Formats: sequence, C-alpha cells, structure tokens
Amino acid sequence: MIRYGFVLLTAARQQLAYRAEFAMRAISMALFMGVFMALWSTAYGVSGRSELASYGLVDIVWYLAMTETIVLSASRVFVEISEAVRAGDLTYTLVRPLSYPFYQVANSLGGSAPRFALNLAVAAAVVTVGLGRVGGSLAGLAAFLGLAVLAMLLDALVAVLIGLAAFWIEETTPIFWIYQKLLFTIGGLFLPLEMFPAWLQDLARWLPFQLITYAPARAFVDFDPAFVLRAAGMQLAYIAVLTLLLLGVWGRAKRRLVIHGG
Amino acid sequence: MSAIINVDNLCKTFVTAEKQRGLGGSLRSLLRPVRREVQAVKNITFAVEEGERLAFIGPNGAGKSTTIKMLTGILHPTSGTAQVLGKVPWRERQELAYEIGTVFGQKSQLWYHLPPADSFELLSRIYELERSAYRQRMDELVGLFEIGEYLHTPVRKLSLGERMRCEIAASLLHRPRILFLDEPTIGLDVVVKQRIRDLILELNQREGVTVFLTSHDAGDVEVLCKRAMVINHGEVIYDGRVSMLKRDYIHSKAISLKLGEPWRGFDHPGVCVLKQKGYGVKLQVDTAVASIEEVIARLLARYTVVDINVDNPPMEEIIARIYQVEGREDTQADG
Repeated sequence: MIRYGFVLLTAARQQLAYRAEFAMRAISMALFMGVFMALWSTAYGVSGRSELASYGLVDIVWYLAMTETIVLSASRVFVEISEAVRAGDLTYTLVRPLSYPFYQVANSLGGSAPRFALNLAVAAAVVTVGLGRVGGSLAGLAAFLGLAVLAMLLDALVAVLIGLAAFWIEETTPIFWIYQKLLFTIGGLFLPLEMFPAWLQDLARWLPFQLITYAPARAFVDFDPAFVLRAAGMQLAYIAVLTLLLLGVWGRAKRRLVIHGG
Repeated sequence: MSAIINVDNLCKTFVTAEKQRGLGGSLRSLLRPVRREVQAVKNITFAVEEGERLAFIGPNGAGKSTTIKMLTGILHPTSGTAQVLGKVPWRERQELAYEIGTVFGQKSQLWYHLPPADSFELLSRIYELERSAYRQRMDELVGLFEIGEYLHTPVRKLSLGERMRCEIAASLLHRPRILFLDEPTIGLDVVVKQRIRDLILELNQREGVTVFLTSHDAGDVEVLCKRAMVINHGEVIYDGRVSMLKRDYIHSKAISLKLGEPWRGFDHPGVCVLKQKGYGVKLQVDTAVASIEEVIARLLARYTVVDINVDNPPMEEIIARIYQVEGREDTQADG
C-alpha cells in the first residue's frame, strides 16, 4: 500500500507542474460559481420562496460549490489509459512489481488531489464573497472532506474501468460522456436529490452516482451523522464491488494485451 | 556459469483486424471484421548464461520487442515456454520485476514534468529499497552515468542523450541481475551512442549484470556484445559469436563524406562509390580487402573533409547475406 501512496504523491507533484492549466481551472471555477449564483438568486427571487425542497439560497449555492469542486477534480485517467492501450505503451508500468489497475487508481487520485484543493479554495472564496455568507458547518466540512475522499476513490475506480475498456473498443470517450452525464443528472450535480420527483429520488439513491456528487455536498450543507454514516457505508460497499470488478476486467484485459512493435 | 534465461519453442501470434478500403469497406469491416493472424515470433529456442552480453538483432518488425516483452512478463506467448531466473515471466511478473531491469529506447519511465530525482525516489519506494542502500546506489549511479547536474532539472528539459542516461540509471536502481535493453541507442547521435555503449559495458564488467539487448544497429552489437542472435520474420536465422558474424557476414562499411572541395575520384582497391552529388559522396569499403583506417587516412590526405561518418551496412543487407551464404531463401522478403 505504501508504494501506491508514493505513486499518488508523485502524480500530485506532476499535476502541480501544470501551472497554466491551474490558472485556467481557477478562472473557470470562479466563472461557473458566479453564473450559478446569479441563476439561483433569480430563481429564488422569481419563486418568491425562501426555501425550495428545504434548501435555502445559501444552501443551494454552497451545495453547488461542493459538487462542482468534486466534478471538476474528477479523474481523467481514462484518457491516459486508453491512449496507452491503443499505442501499446503499458510497458513500463507492467515491468514493475505493481498491480497495473491499482497503480492507475493511485495515479488518478494523485492527479485529482491538487485540483480538488484548488477548486475547493476558489469555489469557497467566490461564494463567500458573492453571498457574503459562509455556509455549512465545521462538522459539515469534516464530513464533506471524508465523503469526498471516498467519492474520489469511487470516481477513480470508474475512470480506470472506462480506460481499460480500450482493450475491447476503439474509443472510450463516449462511455466517459455517459458516466459524466449521469453524474450531472441523477448524481445531483446541479440539483440535490430532494428536488427530484419521488420515483427518480428512489432510483437515484440506490445508484453510485449520487455518492460521488450529492452525498458529500449534502453532508456539508445539512450535517446529519446518520446520513453521513449511511453514505459512507454505501460508498465503501460500491468501492468493494468496483474493486472486484476492476480486478476481474484486468484479468481478462491482460490476456488480450497486444503491445505493438516487433 | 549457468543459464538464467531458457526459452523453448516460444511463439507469439497476434490477431489484427484488417480494414478494407473506402467507405463501403469500412462498413463491411464493421459488420463482418476480417481478422488476420500475424506470427510475430516463431518457435524460438535459446539459452543465456549469467553475465553474458547478448545482442538480439533484426530489422524493424522482426519480433525482437515481442520476445523481450514475453521475457519480461508483459506479453503472454501463444505457445512454448520460457524461464527467466527460474520464473515463468508472464505468470510471475511482479516477483520477476525485482530481479530484472528494462530500458525501452522509444518510451520513457521518467515522469515528464518532474526532475529525474523524483522518479528515482518513487522507484526506490516501488522496489522497497532501504534508505541507506538507496542513497548508496544513487551515489554509484550518479557517478557512473555522470547525471548529477541534471538530477534536479525537469525531464522535459533534458536532451535525448541526457534522458537516456537517466533512463538506464533508473532501471539499475534495484540492482537487477538481468538488464533488458530494447533499442537503447535509437535516435541518439554517434558520440552519445558510444557513451551509452561504454556505460553498458562497464556495468556488465563491474556488476556482472547479464545484458540482453535488441537493436537494428549493427554498431551496438559490434562494440557491446560477444554473442549475437539475428532474428527475421520471427525466426532466429543466426546464433553465434559476434566475431564470426562479422567475419562471415559483415564485409563492408559505408563512409559518408562532406567535402570542402569538388570530388575528383578516389582509386583504392576494395572501395567503390555508392552515391555522389555535389560535395557529398558515399563510399562502400570491402573490409576484407581494405581497412577502414587506411581508407580514411588516404581520403583525408587527398581531400579537405568537412564531415565524415562511418556506418555499418543496414540489417537488411546482413540478413540477405546470411540467407545467401546458408543457401536459404527469405520466403517473406516482401511481407
């Protein structure tokens, strides 16, 4: 495990080297939050209500700041993996005493960690200045950070699985799009699950997507120990399932390995 | 001495999908893909002793890399067996990884935006090296490869030669018993190539590391290895001493000259002009008749020379000669 920890640290260090990308990310995060703050303010103003599905304006904007922080820090490791599979470039990671899928999970988390810190700082700053109010609570923040770590791990497992799909299909980006759009919709990126129709809420609660976006953000704006424990339990269960799936898929992928160049 | 690599009837067949021409062809390929089997490695059998320096040579696409990838556990063979240090590579890949080092000339194991020192540090953790042993090893490698001054420069800012020295040092960090080098000198200029060759040689002599090298540059083989195996279309067509390979099959070298004056001809036994244009000329020297040193000395005496290069004949030529001498036919010459 320690070895994978060092892979994560090295990937984080490499991510910090992309300074221009960092600046662009900060700017786009600030823009997103500015636009959504204006939209929600208008929506609440027009509706004439102070709460929608038990969320006040401050809650919903902070909710969005947290979901965006996670989604914009999400793994893009599937691109790296699919390109490597296509080009036959897995060689160096395969000659190490490491498990390839776990190496990529660590690599993905390392890439996400600095983005996460940056996104969180920018979103929190913009929202605090824009609303003039800090949302959530300290307990909520702790719960958010804990659930967000598990959420990022879940996301990394999905991203590695999507990347490994390149062993069977030429182009993996469409699968990523589907996954991303599911996060945006039933994952609760823009709207918390409470705002969904009842039947969709019931469905979404059992799926893993809300565990990546909705659950950590909801824990921040409305801290409830029972909710946090249930969400963490579900996250761990899905992590276990996806880990087994990943090992199974890798077992099959290994046999298909065709590395070009004679 | 004992064999540390044993390969018995190793075969690797790839199945590739063939694309047909045009839009109609693309659609047909989508509905009913045409698959073609490519035999990359055919019944290869050989053994390598501990401490040997073996060159595995052949033209592009001959099956060299595929063989190295099977011996390092990356690829599963289609049939046949192999043991490296008593382990079946593709079944015990991670255990074997502690005992072998690999360098792929066309790929990089160093993190591109980080200085090599960070990649070394990570590798030391991956191979679970003790801190004191790691520091001692680093000192040795930094001294031997003279990489101290770029250890803290991001890899993207290094030249190919500097990077390659770091790549080889990185693969030696965990003191492997066998070093697999896949085209380690590809793309390097003559001086850097020579430096890399010297380093590999020194390492073999100092630490007894077995060197298994693939190359399509006959120069690597001449300087570095005692034994050569020539592979073509997945088959071993020569396995023997490099000195014999040279004596029997490499009879010529090419000298490329850039002159400071017009070409006025050059009359010397065993030398013929292959190409001549303006102030540039390419000569072929039959090394059985004339020595390279003597020809160069006479050329320098006769002409003002701006630039000079001595090259081995291309692999294709050596292979054609092996087929010719053995009375065999290269059945897939166009394949």
